[in-house]
Amino acid sequence: MAERQPTRDEDKREFAEEQASLFRITLAPLVWAIHFVVCYGLVAVTCAKEWDIVAVRTGLLIFSACALAGIGWVGFAAWKQWNVAETGDFVNRGGRAEDRHHFLGHAAFLLSVISVVGVVFVSLPLIMIGGCQ
Amino acid sequence: MAVKNFGQGTRCRPSRRHIGTLVSLLSVAGCGLHQSALNPAGRDATSISTLFWVMLAGAVVLWLLVNGAFFYMSRVRPGQFDQRYARHILIGGGIVLPVVVLTTLLVWGLSILPDPRRPGDGLVVRITGEQWWWRVEYWPEGAEDPILSANELRLPAGERTEIRLTSARVIHSFWVPALGGKMDMFPGRETMISLAPEKPGSYRGQCAEFCGASHAWMAFSAVVMDPGAFDTWLAAEAADATPPQDEAAVRGADLFLSEGCGACHTIRGTDAAGLVGPDLTHVGSRQTIGAGRLPATLDDIRLWLDHTEALKPEVKMPTYDLSPTELDDLAQYLEGLK
Amino acid sequence: MTHPSGLPEPEGPYPPTDEMLAEPVPRDVQEAQARRLRAAWETPKGWRYITAVNNTEVGKWYCLTALVFMLLAGVMALIIRLQLAVPENDFVSADRFNQLFTMHGSAMMFLFAVPMFEAVSILLLPGMLGARDMPFPRLSAFGYWCFLIGGIFVIGSIFFDAAPRAGWFMYPPLATEDEGPGSDIWLLGLSFIEVASIAAAVELIVGTLKCRPPGMRVNLMPLYAWYVLVVGGMILFAFPPLIAGDFLFELERSFDWPFFDPTRGGDPMLWQHLFWIFGHPEVYIIFLPSIAIAAMVIPTVARRPIYGYSWIVLSAVGTGFLSFGLWVHHMFTTGLPSISLGFFSAASEAVVIPTGIQIFAFLATLMAGRVKMTLPMLWISGALAIFTMGGLTGVMLALAPFDFQAHDTYFIVAHLHYTLFGGMVFPVIAGVYYFFPFIQKRMMSERLGKWAFWLTFSGFNLCFLPMHLTGLWGMPRRVYTYPTGLGWDWLNLISTVGAFIIAAGFAAFVWDLIRPKHRQSQIPRNPWEAGTLEWTHDVPEESWGVRSIPHVTTRYPLWDQPDMQARIDAGRYYLPDAKEGKRETLVTSVIDAEPVQVQRVTGPTWITLWAAFFTGGAFIFPTFHWYPPAIVSGALAICCIIWWLWTATAQVPEADSKDAGLGLRLPTYAAGPASVGWWAMWITMLGDATAFASLVFGFFFYWTASPDFPPEGALHPDAGLVALAALGFAVTWSSTVGARWLNRRGQVGAARAGLILAPLAAAGAAAALVGSVMHLDPESHVYPAILWALAIWVAVHSGAGIIMQLYCLAGSLFGKLTPRYDADIWNVSLFWHFVTISALVTCAVVGLMPGAL
Repeated sequence: MAERQPTRDEDKREFAEEQASLFRITLAPLVWAIHFVVCYGLVAVTCAKEWDIVAVRTGLLIFSACALAGIGWVGFAAWKQWNVAETGDFVNRGGRAEDRHHFLGHAAFLLSVISVVGVVFVSLPLIMIGGCQ
Repeated sequence: MAVKNFGQGTRCRPSRRHIGTLVSLLSVAGCGLHQSALNPAGRDATSISTLFWVMLAGAVVLWLLVNGAFFYMSRVRPGQFDQRYARHILIGGGIVLPVVVLTTLLVWGLSILPDPRRPGDGLVVRITGEQWWWRVEYWPEGAEDPILSANELRLPAGERTEIRLTSARVIHSFWVPALGGKMDMFPGRETMISLAPEKPGSYRGQCAEFCGASHAWMAFSAVVMDPGAFDTWLAAEAADATPPQDEAAVRGADLFLSEGCGACHTIRGTDAAGLVGPDLTHVGSRQTIGAGRLPATLDDIRLWLDHTEALKPEVKMPTYDLSPTELDDLAQYLEGLK
Repeated sequence: MTHPSGLPEPEGPYPPTDEMLAEPVPRDVQEAQARRLRAAWETPKGWRYITAVNNTEVGKWYCLTALVFMLLAGVMALIIRLQLAVPENDFVSADRFNQLFTMHGSAMMFLFAVPMFEAVSILLLPGMLGARDMPFPRLSAFGYWCFLIGGIFVIGSIFFDAAPRAGWFMYPPLATEDEGPGSDIWLLGLSFIEVASIAAAVELIVGTLKCRPPGMRVNLMPLYAWYVLVVGGMILFAFPPLIAGDFLFELERSFDWPFFDPTRGGDPMLWQHLFWIFGHPEVYIIFLPSIAIAAMVIPTVARRPIYGYSWIVLSAVGTGFLSFGLWVHHMFTTGLPSISLGFFSAASEAVVIPTGIQIFAFLATLMAGRVKMTLPMLWISGALAIFTMGGLTGVMLALAPFDFQAHDTYFIVAHLHYTLFGGMVFPVIAGVYYFFPFIQKRMMSERLGKWAFWLTFSGFNLCFLPMHLTGLWGMPRRVYTYPTGLGWDWLNLISTVGAFIIAAGFAAFVWDLIRPKHRQSQIPRNPWEAGTLEWTHDVPEESWGVRSIPHVTTRYPLWDQPDMQARIDAGRYYLPDAKEGKRETLVTSVIDAEPVQVQRVTGPTWITLWAAFFTGGAFIFPTFHWYPPAIVSGALAICCIIWWLWTATAQVPEADSKDAGLGLRLPTYAAGPASVGWWAMWITMLGDATAFASLVFGFFFYWTASPDFPPEGALHPDAGLVALAALGFAVTWSSTVGARWLNRRGQVGAARAGLILAPLAAAGAAAALVGSVMHLDPESHVYPAILWALAIWVAVHSGAGIIMQLYCLAGSLFGKLTPRYDADIWNVSLFWHFVTISALVTCAVVGLMPGAL
């Protein structure tokens, strides 16, 4: 392609970065999903096999904290990618590559907010409900 | 028995807790609602109905706000608003408000979630779901053998009773709305729910999981009694049948055996010892016949015997070809099994 | 490192400059181009019309068929309501009633709601993306015919008193033990349709990712496309668990393998899990695309871009994820541990947040815009009024304690109809009014539309609002009648009256839809003054989709790129011509939509009809246990599909690249990740892997749920044969991938040798795996049964894989597959990646687990 021709390498690097940011959109909800599945699965097996529910609850609460930290990290990276403080652009509806880049950051950031709420909600039963009954 | 008379309300009073036109109207209309979750007579049902009324009030307010805003925006003032408001409404209405409301509700919900499975105070009742009736066993604390009954559940007021549930063939669900939530009954598995009834009275329970042709007719009465009365009743229930001695009833008793009813039904103290169908030892003392299908009056028992299939489609019990007098005799006998 | 195939890269200026776009196209060139395009895209006439595969035709048939099924299911609802109008009614028998409510639910879900999403998307998506057609038109047609055949079969059973009658959720043991073909009709008929649904989902995902117009980066996609992407992904992960469940269920029905029979170690709860892992996302699969219609209508009404585009994307993606964590809220009363219930209660509350954001984004858009009320917006407002109510009762039901009371009562019936009418029916009707001029180039009636709205809206509330109370007063669902004296009588009577008012509303709507409109005047091109690409359509209609594929740099190109319409019509943009007389569309890159390839798309054909017909036979005959005709049908279906693929896909082009317009030369052939076929395979296999994972989940579920799994003293699979199978799968995988590698390097002979070895190894491996469980009796206990099921699953996939390997071998021998043109073997090796993984997992489960557990 004639005009603003980036070299093959540049192209590849940029593409890889965008692939990463497309993936980053789903990263926070993915952490939520993993957290959810682990909590559900472990509690189900624990109750069925009569393992020590108290220990499992404690372990899962620590795991929840880790999940929250992970989502926080994803959210922070996404916030930086969105870069609204500098651009002042809340809408990201332009047609340039930067707009798309910022947009993906924005979406990923919002999804990490939702995922934080999701993980906190799912951890509540671990705190409030004692046994398997 | 003080609480006979299925089909008549025993409690007809407006709810004191919730004042308001709509609510009191519903409560008055609710008079005679034996199967209503909004007329609670047990601890769990009460806490759930309180939760419901609060959520309903909140829901009405939120619904009016959101739809009012839509109406205002599209009909009353279709012009442009300041962008600032739009952002506030998105963040405030979309994130902040729901997070606050939902967290509150979730904490409330979780705090009462384990209640219906709290251990009981001693008495255990085992109920097996059959197509389409209920096999009931009472296990007083320390009992070695159960007291067998069917299609009626009696509970002492003021105590928490553990109900252990299972099923013979398909999935059913045990539910007495006035006393608490429901719990499914599975073949090959035991589930548990405990009920803490408070107000003596007669309530209706019904199977809540679709279980085949006559799912609609799988009901029972749940009778809550003062603890003393309950103990007396349980002792009577444990005893063998005391067959009525009048002439027709005696003919009916013979008919019961000669027609082969005993192959399926048990009447303790007689030769009838079948286990396929409900135990009929004290069927005359129950409020209903056919698992809540009809009141257990003489006429209705006769009707049941004469039109079983029509009253309860695909039921296993055949409709017997009996003469009118034979029907009378048999009904007389069953009704007399107090 | 992949050896380059030697195919050319795109060449020429991109993006186009303003000067390039401003240059006029000579009149005579325009006319000649239009003539050639018209000829290439001509819809077949007369009785050959049914061979059409174009998205506009198939989409229309799909929509109308779904509508007819919906009306039939609606009539069933009316009969249900008549029966329930008064207590102890005998209008229909208990058995008939149970068939009716089972079929009402099943048809509304499987024959209306999900297919309607696919139908509408097939119809609209190419227009919104400025594409000529879907990437695989014949696949859409095949999916449609499968849907039609399966749908008629399933819904037709009600006329023969043979319909399924165990509820649309088919809970075992009731459904497994049910006599007669009802349950089989449900299982096989709907599995058939589910397969078609997945095919459509694959196509829609690929269409959204790879067939956008140049320049339409992901931040510019119409919101509808975002929703399609999310919903397509959800279908891919939600339907396969149900298909796995159907597979186990049918094995139990046909061969008495006790997956759900508690007396032999089975567990009816497994079905409930698999069903609701499908069933709850399903609700959002229905809801999201309909709300997507609202997301297209509202900016038009507000005459400004959507407010909070990113927020809506967040909401769609977030809902998509969270919706997979809700399934147990259908099982709150099954006695699961309280903590587990708590998790699902929490997730069910959490999902409210993205849903709410969606609604508040609409509100914000209306606030920031200058609202011009239209008929579609009236329906959207009605939808919101109803849906918010359903949402609020949903919040209540998500709290497990409240659900303990409300579960399986008429409160739920009310709740679910509020969400489905508000979240699906009303928005779809809004969409019909909004998009009708796009589809038929005529307007629907404003007056009839208002009548239809007010009748449906008031009838709906009259019917379903009282049901909340009916339910709380204790009336359970699915009862064919009820006794008097419980306070339910007058509530039910009101509901019945309401149901008939809804029916009147629908009658008005359907009449408006089908009444002849030939005398009506032609519409203006953009009657609602909308901003998105579909409104660049041609009036009167042209079947080419879009005259030339525009370069898009904004979210609302018709508002923000004022010259676009004229340039599209002039053929100034991409692919303005069909020089070779072939149907073509543009393939672009996933994130930034840079043009990468000119894709030849397939045209009218009979073969899809035959393929659907025989596939139907393969599913329908087993319902009546007629296995020989089923096998013959299946074999013929495979022959048809092979013929179709051989003659129409991955064809060697006459030239490596061609002029795509604006000086851009694009390749005409692509293999591997650059091709749409590879993406389709990848996405399909994700779904397939999900189904397989569900079976493995089943294995571990039995282990968790029952103390005697595997039972004491059970026979175990033959470890030696399992190891042999694992080895065989490793060999077939490496020969397939090796053949691809060698072929690309020009070592065709060696590649062919690999393609001969591969199927032999695959057949040997599959035989060894089945042999390893041969001595187990699957009827005796669920342990041998699930091992058998896993082995069969892998063996069937190996069979398909062998056919594919031989297809490649034949391709190599007959010049369809060359070192340069090797798309087929890329797709086949991708298939084998997945099959090998599932085979090795199976070997591990079958061979190692008995020792480990």
